[in-house]
Amino acid sequence: MDRFQYLALLGLCLVGTLPLELALGVRVWRRPARLTRSVLPVAVAFGLYDILAIEAGWWGFNDRYLTGWEVGFGLPVEELAFFLVIPVCGILTIEAVRVRLRRR
Amino acid sequence: MHGYTLSALAACFAVLGLELAVFRTGLLRRHTYWIAFGIILFFQVLVDGWLTKLSAPIVTYARQHFSGIRFPWDIPVEDYLFGWAMCTLALLLWERQSDPSDQEPEPQPVFRRKSSSLKR
Repeated sequence: MDRFQYLALLGLCLVGTLPLELALGVRVWRRPARLTRSVLPVAVAFGLYDILAIEAGWWGFNDRYLTGWEVGFGLPVEELAFFLVIPVCGILTIEAVRVRLRRR
Repeated sequence: MHGYTLSALAACFAVLGLELAVFRTGLLRRHTYWIAFGIILFFQVLVDGWLTKLSAPIVTYARQHFSGIRFPWDIPVEDYLFGWAMCTLALLLWERQSDPSDQEPEPQPVFRRKSSSLKR
């Protein structure tokens, strides 16, 4: 199961931030078009950055904790997921802050 | 050369430049952003700490391509630049699509250049 560790960590991030949408009532997942337009460019830009960095040998990955599935150009599917998941978590965070400040 | 150090710095400047020259959301001047940034940073340390821990690293870094400074635990400090650029870019893109009804009641920036940039 070790090979799913990175993916599981990202899953945890999604599950952990879900209450912001469901309980706190931020509207991020419920704005899929806006969310896509916010996150997709980030994933593309940082995906390219990542491909270059892997190619240049700046960083690499421990095969033991990766599924081995690749998007292409040596980019692990986990990294692409990272560039999608973390920005979503960030947007959920700022919207949560906004909701809390407004309700004070 | 510290490829990671320089490229992460470049990513930060690119995002800053985009905000100043193109997006002009004013987000970086708002309390909301900095509070969120603090929270994001806290969780970055947890997640990134897990990804980079030298005892069982998921991501490994070539010693000659970053500063070698890791804090806290084994997190390369460059990761904070990388993380800031990535998250801030997403927040800026999100912000520039906001509805007027979403705006928090904070004063708009007083000083605004005549804009030739695209406005949504």
